[in-house]
Amino acid sequence: MNMKARTNAISWSFIAIAVIMICAFYFYPMIQALIMSFQSGTGTNLSFVGIDNYTRLFTDTTFKTTLSNTFLYLVIQVPLMIVLALFISVLLNDKNLKLKGFFRTAIFLPAVTSLVAYSVIFKYLFGTDGLINTMLMKLSLIAAPIQWITDPFWAKITIIIAITWRWTGYNMIFYLSALQNIDDSIYEAARIDGANSFTQFFKITVPLLKPIILFTSITSTIGTLQLFDEVMNITKGGPGNSTMTLSQYIYNLSFKYTPDFGYAATVSYAIVILIVIFSILQFKLAGDKNG
Amino acid sequence: MKKIIVLLLASILILSACGTKTDNGNAGAGEGAAETSKITIWAWDPNFNIKAMNLAKDAYAAKNPDLTVEIIENAQNDIVQKLNTGLSSGTTKGLPNIVLIEDYRAQSFLQAYPDAFYPLTDVIKASEFADYKIGPTSVDGKNYGLPFDSGVTGLYVRTDYLEQAGYSIEDMQDITWDQYIEIGKAVKEKTGKDWISLDPNDMGILRVMAQSAGSWYLKPDGKSADLEGNVALKEAFETYKKMMDANIVRIHADWSQYVANYNSGDVASVPTGNWFTPSITAAADQSGKWAVAPLPKLTNNEKSVHASNLGGSSWYVLNVPGKEKAAEFLGATFGSDVDLYQKLVTEVGAIGTYKPAAAGEAYKAANEFFGGQKIVEDFAKWTAEIPNVNYGMHTYAIEDIIVVEMQNFLNGKSIDQVLADAQKQADAQIK
Repeated sequence: MNMKARTNAISWSFIAIAVIMICAFYFYPMIQALIMSFQSGTGTNLSFVGIDNYTRLFTDTTFKTTLSNTFLYLVIQVPLMIVLALFISVLLNDKNLKLKGFFRTAIFLPAVTSLVAYSVIFKYLFGTDGLINTMLMKLSLIAAPIQWITDPFWAKITIIIAITWRWTGYNMIFYLSALQNIDDSIYEAARIDGANSFTQFFKITVPLLKPIILFTSITSTIGTLQLFDEVMNITKGGPGNSTMTLSQYIYNLSFKYTPDFGYAATVSYAIVILIVIFSILQFKLAGDKNG
Repeated sequence: MKKIIVLLLASILILSACGTKTDNGNAGAGEGAAETSKITIWAWDPNFNIKAMNLAKDAYAAKNPDLTVEIIENAQNDIVQKLNTGLSSGTTKGLPNIVLIEDYRAQSFLQAYPDAFYPLTDVIKASEFADYKIGPTSVDGKNYGLPFDSGVTGLYVRTDYLEQAGYSIEDMQDITWDQYIEIGKAVKEKTGKDWISLDPNDMGILRVMAQSAGSWYLKPDGKSADLEGNVALKEAFETYKKMMDANIVRIHADWSQYVANYNSGDVASVPTGNWFTPSITAAADQSGKWAVAPLPKLTNNEKSVHASNLGGSSWYVLNVPGKEKAAEFLGATFGSDVDLYQKLVTEVGAIGTYKPAAAGEAYKAANEFFGGQKIVEDFAKWTAEIPNVNYGMHTYAIEDIIVVEMQNFLNGKSIDQVLADAQKQADAQIK
């Protein structure tokens, strides 16, 4: 073996470990799940049913409800969070701001909390006799306690508030680091040309942050489509199934009801398809012009 | 360059050697645990079924000191999840010998994983247990489960609030749900206290009402939904709405709020399973203020009786090494030990479903918290009256549909439409 072949062999052997691991623990289960999505039955009594599971999706009212719930979170929560994160990061990037480190840490801190732990705390905060209701009542803003958890409308609001609280800081960090890469001289030139901070934000900051905005909106979209912990712990999908997400439906199909792993796999592939479609859409809408 | 590579390779070798060594150590320990002189048991409530199992363990150890029994606490959801993943993957390693399964879910496991459970037909006499427990725990005439606690229901009620409203506990005997609501309105008017606490996500009260009339979400075959045209369920729906409309209901979202509503004295009555007794008696300051009345029955249903069931679970032996020992252990304890059942009542507050045990002393004891009422005797009497229904495989799947349709019903949709829609969804889902 000459020197080059030997180096090659060694490099490949290093890569091989990762490749084998990924194949064994990612691709193999993915293919198995795809095969399983064409099967149906209870527990271990699975049999092939062709595309029955996929046609069942279109008549399944629970699937439709969970899909529309997930979309609602997507349409309201993701833009809200992105705008909020952008706004906060611009504020925190201000040169004249004191205690910058403190504010940054404070806003990022929710992102390091455990999903389950914060969900449980939110559940108690937003309970009928919880802190939020007590506070609003003491301030005489509301006359009767709001049913944050048990009313279909308010339960959705509670979930949106919770995930916004948890994930805004996480997205903010991306914007902050991107903002630091924007050269000050650009802003200086703009100021000399007479642009106010409003114009600066929309004409300089936003266009320059576009790749990051695209990145965060894709990761947030994927995150929302996979939303599970918060809903499971705060409302259990209720009242009824008015806050239930796709992921929770998969959980119910596999573990709460008599297990139908085949159909559960089909629903999870529906999520995969949705994620692919959304990512392509977002690339097309935002990314194309930048190349 | 070469030297560095050699050094690297050598260090990797040494590291992996260390790794293998520790692996071997672990595997050795694992094999030791698999020996049949030890059985493991999973249950979920340290104050209830785990405590009960510990009593059984002590009773068995007195006669058979050789068997090591390890009881492991897992949340019920975790047990369900671990069983599902373990059994469907085909590897039984890591699963226990004995597991506690809720009766509503039992058929789902027994039928979804045939051969995963060990029949107990030879170990227990099915006729010695409450009739209604045998259906959920057996398949094709074979008993797979050892019936454990009774979920027999009663109506817990605050006698002091009743008196303030001009009623007494005698007025609560053998009433209908309509009468129950009328009394509730009077109590709310006089005392300002709510009458009942309900969770909009938990239709337990509907199940209780339906079973009291010998009806269920599923037809007796346990496989197809029985919603449209189910008269018992229809009346249960209407009764639920009457309660909501009467403004006597306090809403809770989880177990701790539920118990708190009663312990704080804000709510005056609770129709539920007897396993709720420890939660009621937890408020020591309310001693003497509670009584237990028979469950109200459906007003317009002739088949409805004053007894029903909510929850309750049974022990199952998994078809893994050690199954004979495990079955023998269950047979010698919960399967035949009358004394153990007396201890269950006095020390745990659990009422079993083993009929011969009801003749014991502990069942006749008066409970001072409930004004000297012999509540265990009453519950044992009602247990025998519970109509037998087949819980089938899909109770929780249908419950989720019912929860949604109940909201539609409360918002004004007609009852026949509600049940027809629920039937359609259920048929699509549980084929």
